[in-house]
Amino acid sequence: MQLSSEKKTADMRGVYGDTLVELGRIYKEVVCVGADTTDSLKTKKFGDKYPDRMFNVGIAEANLVSIAAGLAIAGKIAFASTYAAFLPGRCLDQIRNAICYPNLDVKLVVSHAGLTVGPDGASHQQIEDFSTMRSIPNIRIIVPADAVSVKHLINSIVQMHGPFYVRLARPSSDILYAEESLFEIGKGNILRDGSDATIISCGLMVTRSLEAADILKRNEGISCRVVDMFSIKPIDTDLVEKCGRETGAIATAEEHNVIGGLGGAVAEASAESYPVPIKRIGIRDTFGESARDEEIEALLEKYGLTSTEIARAVMDARGRSKR
Amino acid sequence: MTFNMRYLDLKRKIRDVRMLAIQGIAEAGSGHPGASLSAAEIMGTLYFRRIKHDSSKPNWGERDYFVDSKAHSAPAYYATLAVAGYFPIDEIKTLRKIGSRLQGHPVRYSEQQKHHSVPGIEYSGGSEGIGLSVSIGIAIAHKLDGKNNRVYVLIGDGESNEGQVWEAAMAASKFKLDNVIAILDRNRIQQDGFTEDIMPLDPMRDKWLAFNWNVIEIDGHRVEQVIDALNKAKQVEDKPTIIIANTIKGNGIKHMTNNPQWHGKAPPRKHTPILLEELESECLIAPSIIAGERENYDEKIRKAERGGADLVHLDVMDGRFVPNTTFSANTIRKLRHITSLPFDVHLMIENPLKHIRDYIEAGCDIITVHAEACDESEFASIKESLLSKGISPGIAINPSTDIPNWIYSYTENIDVVIIMSVNPGFAGQKFIPEVLPKMVMINKKLREHGFKGYIEADGGIDDTTLQQVYDSGARILVAGNAVYGSSDIHGAIIQLRHKANVALERRLIEHASAIGIRSEWIKIRRHILIPLANELGIEGELHAIE
Repeated sequence: MQLSSEKKTADMRGVYGDTLVELGRIYKEVVCVGADTTDSLKTKKFGDKYPDRMFNVGIAEANLVSIAAGLAIAGKIAFASTYAAFLPGRCLDQIRNAICYPNLDVKLVVSHAGLTVGPDGASHQQIEDFSTMRSIPNIRIIVPADAVSVKHLINSIVQMHGPFYVRLARPSSDILYAEESLFEIGKGNILRDGSDATIISCGLMVTRSLEAADILKRNEGISCRVVDMFSIKPIDTDLVEKCGRETGAIATAEEHNVIGGLGGAVAEASAESYPVPIKRIGIRDTFGESARDEEIEALLEKYGLTSTEIARAVMDARGRSKR
Repeated sequence: MTFNMRYLDLKRKIRDVRMLAIQGIAEAGSGHPGASLSAAEIMGTLYFRRIKHDSSKPNWGERDYFVDSKAHSAPAYYATLAVAGYFPIDEIKTLRKIGSRLQGHPVRYSEQQKHHSVPGIEYSGGSEGIGLSVSIGIAIAHKLDGKNNRVYVLIGDGESNEGQVWEAAMAASKFKLDNVIAILDRNRIQQDGFTEDIMPLDPMRDKWLAFNWNVIEIDGHRVEQVIDALNKAKQVEDKPTIIIANTIKGNGIKHMTNNPQWHGKAPPRKHTPILLEELESECLIAPSIIAGERENYDEKIRKAERGGADLVHLDVMDGRFVPNTTFSANTIRKLRHITSLPFDVHLMIENPLKHIRDYIEAGCDIITVHAEACDESEFASIKESLLSKGISPGIAINPSTDIPNWIYSYTENIDVVIIMSVNPGFAGQKFIPEVLPKMVMINKKLREHGFKGYIEADGGIDDTTLQQVYDSGARILVAGNAVYGSSDIHGAIIQLRHKANVALERRLIEHASAIGIRSEWIKIRRHILIPLANELGIEGELHAIE
């Protein structure tokens, strides 16, 4: 996997908005539904370009996703976007019954997920979505790690029939991938190879996982593989098994409750293929709290979502390894 | 005002929907009879008369969409689709069973779901409150594509407790969706009890008006009102329409009506044949406006409507086929605007073929001609003209006439056979009882030849003769003097209906006796039977049960 050579950051939402405009140009059937957050989600760009194909339903998430379902029934590819705090939670029933059961072409793209939404506090910090979405049949869950991933993955899902849940984060994040990188739904990307352990992560935790691998290399002389598991469902079971066989220990990292998220999915895949010790990094089944934008790193530290904690998790898993 | 609805054929198909729905529920041992029975006219009228669709091409691009948001009415929905030709009628017996295409709640048809759905189902329902929003999505997409097809969505009143219904209400008016027609099945009962006790919804009309919808309120069991409302909804621009259809939960099976107990309970399977007989025995009362004091037809029609008549019977006499003269097509045209009640027009005229166009254009819903006044080829032309204009064709015979044999080859295209029980020509004649065995014989023979329409008794029908014609198979009862000879027209119609009810209950009890469940039937039916106990002679039995 080719990584970006220069150090820069970009805003996932901005790229989502631009990508949607481009898709709107290519696919006449692409439409977008918003819920009073089109400025935040940057879907407003699509609305400015294609006012006929943009529908703002106000603060009404159940209506948002159900109207998207109707659009899909009538042959459209419907993007429904708002904050992660409200879209999977407020309208879980509608996602299940109106979208997933009939397997409709609705792309739910949310932003401001996880603790990093910051000052708004726990009410706005969505940390349960992987868990809820994972257990609904037909839907696939995508968590891009950077702006380049967003562009590629949004382009991929528009070509695949059926529902997707795509989770973006609010802060600008490091660009990890080179522009020409490849992404395949259902496959993880190995960003750095290693032989002594594997870190499997997603979203904003991928950067921190790479840092953790650096720490482990530097401090412990451990060669750590780093996987960006942007496709949480379907998860790359083969890759999880391979990592278990080849490196003997796995740590996972996600901006989500440790229950039912990426760590859970990896543990399930591992347990049923080639069990190895696993340590999960995530929010330890508790609610978050407010933090100013400049305090986000401190917030992540407080909840154990740092490169140091990930490195510690690798050591823990390795310690239990029979190798 | 012409409805082009082939009224009697529509009524008959809706009756079939009810019967199939009840068969399915009884066979399944679970399901929601109340909601199926309240929505039968709405679904039937949509599918059999108004929705643009083609059962042989369920994905036809120009089709209208139907979204069954109150999806617990699935048995009626499936029955409607079966009668409309989407799948074999017998399949209704698999309802709610493992491996069935007829799931407890309808599933959107797709390749993936082909074992759990049937072609034609657009929407997966079951979770209440969602369907209107989905309909909005479909309607928006159609507007984008420049299509002029419509989305019809059936919502429930209990369902309207859901906040999402009102999110959708706001959105549909914001997007000016005149291609959305919602129909509210206002049966006033939800699972836990009466809607106004559980979560008051009234004033429903004002609520929807306040959300900037076009609101039409109707009796949801009157197909002519459903048709009229749908026609009006289509004329509105830039606004969605909601038709508030006031209905009766469980309508068609008396012990289930207005009873929250029957929201989600299946009848015992052994009751099925009696329930089917009850549904099959629906009886229409048709006051004949030439009776009573002459003229003043407007007033008589209004009174019939207020009294709850099902049809208005209009006797046209030309002074040649019968010695008397009444009125002609012109009068009917003038009366048409007074009511949406179907006009049951009985042409006692010579050469009906020559005049048929006038009567078609006057706004008749049923036109019956005399077998004595036309031959087979003339009748063939008449029924072609009638069917092409959505008018129910009928044939009448006089007391002394035998039914001509050629009629038996037209059974599919005849919606009603009038068997005169007086010699036509004058109101107020005495009932001729000799027609009763003839009625039985003709009814039997017609059924053997596939006749699915109605037998209509005309002449001398009152509360002394009603039971006999009812028992002889008549299900449309023309009442002249019995209604208009009374100073209390409303009361007279109620009295006739009461007599028809007594006749029905007697037959049902006999049926129950024949299959060995008499006391069980009387028990389950007791709140219907108590007021009729004396007339039915079952006071002792009821007493023992109490």
